[in-house]
Amino acid sequence: MINALLSFAFIWCLTYGRLPVPVILVIGSGLAAFLFISSRHRHTGFIVTDVLAQASRLKSVNPTLKVITAFALIIVGIASPSAWTGVFLALTAFLIATFGGNISPHEYVEVLSIPLAFLLIGGLALLIEATPDPTGIVNINLYYFYLTVSPLAQQKTALVISRAMGAFSCLSLLSVTTPMSDIIGVLRRMHCPELIIDLMYLIYRYIFILLTMHHEMMNAAKSRLGLRNYRTSLRTTASVYSNLLARSHNLASQNFDAMESRCYNSGISFLENRVKANAVQVSACIVLLTAASAISLITVMM
Amino acid sequence: MFFSRIEKVVLGLTVFVAAFFVLPPTAEAMHIMEGYLPIGYCLAWGAVALPFVVIGVIRLRKTIQENRRALILLAMSGAFIFVISSLKIPSVTGSCSHMTGTGLSTILFGVTSTSVLGVIVLVFQAILLAHGGLTTLGANTFSMAIAGPLVTLLLFKAGKALKLNKLVNVFVAVSLGDLFTYCVTAFQLALAHPSETGGVLASLVKFLLVFAPTQIPLTIVEGFLTVLIVIGMESFAKQELAASSYGKVI
Repeated sequence: MINALLSFAFIWCLTYGRLPVPVILVIGSGLAAFLFISSRHRHTGFIVTDVLAQASRLKSVNPTLKVITAFALIIVGIASPSAWTGVFLALTAFLIATFGGNISPHEYVEVLSIPLAFLLIGGLALLIEATPDPTGIVNINLYYFYLTVSPLAQQKTALVISRAMGAFSCLSLLSVTTPMSDIIGVLRRMHCPELIIDLMYLIYRYIFILLTMHHEMMNAAKSRLGLRNYRTSLRTTASVYSNLLARSHNLASQNFDAMESRCYNSGISFLENRVKANAVQVSACIVLLTAASAISLITVMM
Repeated sequence: MFFSRIEKVVLGLTVFVAAFFVLPPTAEAMHIMEGYLPIGYCLAWGAVALPFVVIGVIRLRKTIQENRRALILLAMSGAFIFVISSLKIPSVTGSCSHMTGTGLSTILFGVTSTSVLGVIVLVFQAILLAHGGLTTLGANTFSMAIAGPLVTLLLFKAGKALKLNKLVNVFVAVSLGDLFTYCVTAFQLALAHPSETGGVLASLVKFLLVFAPTQIPLTIVEGFLTVLIVIGMESFAKQELAASSYGKVI
């Protein structure tokens, strides 16, 4: 609800004076209604992106190609002087994830709605200035000073927001099409220190063990009225977390014994299913990068 | 004139109180989102954070060479930080809050481990939770895994030297470390997006103000929760606690 209200205020400040008021009302209330509805359906608990990546049709595409393309697109998006590059990247990422990766649009948007709070609050900070005189398009009189929105601030904020939307869409595209283990494999091939790679593999594995453990403990606590009021729920959360650390240390110890009994010396190896990138996939990535760069260049020339 | 002066002051105060206690939609650690910083700033913050991480990796490698069991413990600690930072904690406003986890991590595992584990956890948060980003990794690492933990450690040690009550010390160190992380992040944002009229300083005030309603209650709740976790560990994870940095400092 609050996100919906904030987004309406943000759209109003961003577009006031540039679009007719009825259009702003339609866009603002549409976005607000969408956020309000989607926030009521949010899944909680386990990591959504990992589940989506495992189920994605694009999972089998060469991970190195996916990581390099996503990173290059993020760089093009951030470096672009045009707000349209961000819009292009966001739309393309949505189409690739939903049609190419066969993920439902609802699930993809749910992943994107997570960074939205930051985008809205940070966006409002960029838009609004505190000035002694009412010099902007929107001026709110706060008795001692005015909160104003200037046309230049609108322009700058639109650029920052579209860049951010483009960049986080590309990152989300990578996370919903590439499982974490594949990304770690790419980092290994890029000669990232062995210690970091080993730690990443192990942390990735342990995250799910700890989440399951936490889920069971919280269920047990809930069934014993451990979350009946704020005071009790704080105490329960603290007990669950401290128990989680104790149990995780025990588990780590057992894990090490198991690894040592299987001749673990250093370096953890996994069998990887290596897929070569075919010509069509490479060309598609090049076309995408060229299109994003072309939009930026055309804007500069115009 | 619609409002008298007193009415305006009352209205202003009401809005402020409402903004502070009712509005926060989500209270998460303040990670700078993907695409929010221009490339120059991404590279600069990366360059600032890199030496700390490199020193961290070298020191950890040495520790692991001496004791191979440490690798598994470190990995489990990293997973623990990720998990507690991704789970909801009880919140006064009914909003969705998450711990940053770095305060507890600094007290348990020390600054060096926190800096290396911090980078890995931030990569996982960016990819698995869409929280933070890859290009903003340097800036986020500096604020969350280096600056905040350093303040927490310094305060924790100073508190010990001043013979402050152990739990009060934990609360102060973690809360102020968190508060410092939030200030550093606001500074990073202000530096990249200075205000048209007042420059970096005005922009810093704006970012501090808009994020204050979510971040200040979070630092206090996180401080309390960390104290409760330490109390919990002292009763049923004594051995693990003794092996951690906390056990060595206390």
